[in-house]
Amino acid sequence: MSLKSERRGIHVDQSELLCKKGCGYYGNPAWQGFCSKCWREEYHKARQKQIQDDWELAERLQREEEEAYASSQSTQGAQSLTFSKFEEKKSNEKTRKVTTVKKFFSASSRTGAKKEIHEAKAPSPSINRQVSIETDRASKEFIEFLKTCHKSGQEIYKQCKMFLEAMHHKRELSIEEQSECAQDFYQNVAEKLQTRSKVSPEKVEKAMDQIEKYIMTRLYKYVFCPETTDDEKKDLVVQKRIRALHWVTPQMLCVPVNEEIPEVSDMVVKAITDIIEMDSKRVPRDKLACITQCSKHIFNAIKITKNEPASADDFLPTLIYIVLKGNPPRLQSNIQYITRFCNPSRLMTGEDGYYFTNLCCAVAFIEKLDAQSLNLSQEDFDRYMSGQTSPKKQESENWSSDVCLGVKQMYKNLDLLSQLNERQERIVSEAKKLEKDLIDWTDGITKEVQDIVEKYPLEIKPKNQPLAAIDSENVENDKLPPPLQPQVYAG
Amino acid sequence: MAAAGSGAGGGGRSFSFKVVLLGEGCVGKTSLVLRYCENKFNDKHITTLQASFLTKKLNIGGKRVNLAIWDTAGQERFHALGPIYYRDSNGAILVYDITDEDSFQKVKNWVKELRKMLGNEICLCIVGNKIDLEKERHVSVQEAETYAESVGAKHYHTSAKQNKGIEELFLDLCKRMIETAQVDERARGNGSSQSGTGRRGVQIIDDEPQAQSSGGCCSSG
Repeated sequence: MSLKSERRGIHVDQSELLCKKGCGYYGNPAWQGFCSKCWREEYHKARQKQIQDDWELAERLQREEEEAYASSQSTQGAQSLTFSKFEEKKSNEKTRKVTTVKKFFSASSRTGAKKEIHEAKAPSPSINRQVSIETDRASKEFIEFLKTCHKSGQEIYKQCKMFLEAMHHKRELSIEEQSECAQDFYQNVAEKLQTRSKVSPEKVEKAMDQIEKYIMTRLYKYVFCPETTDDEKKDLVVQKRIRALHWVTPQMLCVPVNEEIPEVSDMVVKAITDIIEMDSKRVPRDKLACITQCSKHIFNAIKITKNEPASADDFLPTLIYIVLKGNPPRLQSNIQYITRFCNPSRLMTGEDGYYFTNLCCAVAFIEKLDAQSLNLSQEDFDRYMSGQTSPKKQESENWSSDVCLGVKQMYKNLDLLSQLNERQERIVSEAKKLEKDLIDWTDGITKEVQDIVEKYPLEIKPKNQPLAAIDSENVENDKLPPPLQPQVYAG
Repeated sequence: MAAAGSGAGGGGRSFSFKVVLLGEGCVGKTSLVLRYCENKFNDKHITTLQASFLTKKLNIGGKRVNLAIWDTAGQERFHALGPIYYRDSNGAILVYDITDEDSFQKVKNWVKELRKMLGNEICLCIVGNKIDLEKERHVSVQEAETYAESVGAKHYHTSAKQNKGIEELFLDLCKRMIETAQVDERARGNGSSQSGTGRRGVQIIDDEPQAQSSGGCCSSG
């Protein structure tokens, strides 16, 4: 008995517990099987290697930059010469501190403690580490992209680095000023690309997307829902407001979407997922893409229901409904962030911009929503808002308002089944009745026929008698010549 | 807020314009744009998923124009959201139904609002739709045209059903917007816009925009 229970326990070999490096101390799975000391060494080594790699990359870029500079030196004016030198110093400085490490130091430690950064203790793996992986991936992609741009790529890289550096110093400024800087930066880069490097508008757009991705992945942490603003407070207000409006039905908003069609309710769910997903993206453009995706699903839902292209009259109410149903997290922060840091050309005239504007409208509507805008009386509205009653209860007594869609569907199906059952029973009984009727009818006919037969019995008179009588009346029969006889002609 | 992105190399300029479509529900806004962009009317086989955001590329005298047409929700309950839609727009098409007096009143409200918010920078078009129902007309031509003139807007008659007047409406509007954009550019100095081109978010300040060259676009035809 005791032997058995021992066996059942988790059996771990002694060697598995020890540090992978074999130093004799116990290891820890959280440190990938190393002991604390060895782990620190390993991790540090990996960091050093990465720093080295990044350094090399930066150096290479610097070299390329210098080459490009040398070749274009004759053509460029004096202003850009000093500019470039300044930039040189900047990037020299920067190569020594790699972005991921840099993030852990405040602005004050930057100036004096350049050397320390190398020896700085490796940050323990944490959420920050996760962020930097994403940042690294973004910069790698960015550099890959820049390689396709040849000469202008270096220019772009230089500008972005400079901008990020500048933004680092502007962290103390208000968010509006930071936004202004970002917008100016977008505009300057786009203009430079267009006028100086003569890049085609399509390519400029592509480059701008990449630039936005690169810089915003880095800045996100500092400029999304910053503490200096009341974005967070507004988020909570909207969230609470939407929660208080849980009782709003599609009918009240005149939403032209029939969720009873399975395809449509599918689309609605997808739209809600998309709008919620927006919060998880870091780049404004990616956030916009979520909104666009959500809108496309809404259009599909409307198209299936109404079978005609959706107009704004249909779209906006549906979007409001989706927002109410989804209650997307940090809605205000996201909207503010996109407005402040998205590339303005996209936001102004593009399709994404249109959907974004509609989302802004939806939020504004929800904030100001009152009895009148739902075609309700003030009393009803107040009662619903206070939670005393729910309009859904009145409309469908069969199921309570808060059951989920699946259960609702099940109830509906059950209802349908019982109806079908009833109908089938009715059919069976009707069939039986019909059978009975048929039998009765045949019986009736048989009986009737019999009655008639009995009433008028069939009298069959002898056959030859009347014939003879006819002949007998022919008195002159004898006078007739004898019937012709067949004659045979010989020959 | 002229969104005139200067074009790539070569002499041809390119413009991007945002045009908002305002009008009560059922006046035929959607039919109007669908007719213009897809040349379809009440077609059973319309494959377009939506008619709320449509684009059209034009070439007017060597100038490339990208038109983005923004439909707006016309229901009364969404009226207050108007400014969010029409900020930064270069043109507005205000549609009413000639058989519906109320829809014309609505147009008047919008005009007032637009002029207050955006000043003279925006080109206004007032459009009487459904002229195929001339017999049931309730808004007199005289009244509509006089009103349009009084507010510096142009008046058009269209029928989405019969495809009348729509092409002209948009072409005319584009020409006026180009003109406004150019005037604006010159006023800013030599066209090399170094500020403000792409700045989003019009600050809602009543007194600012009126200072533009008086009625630049709208009085000239």
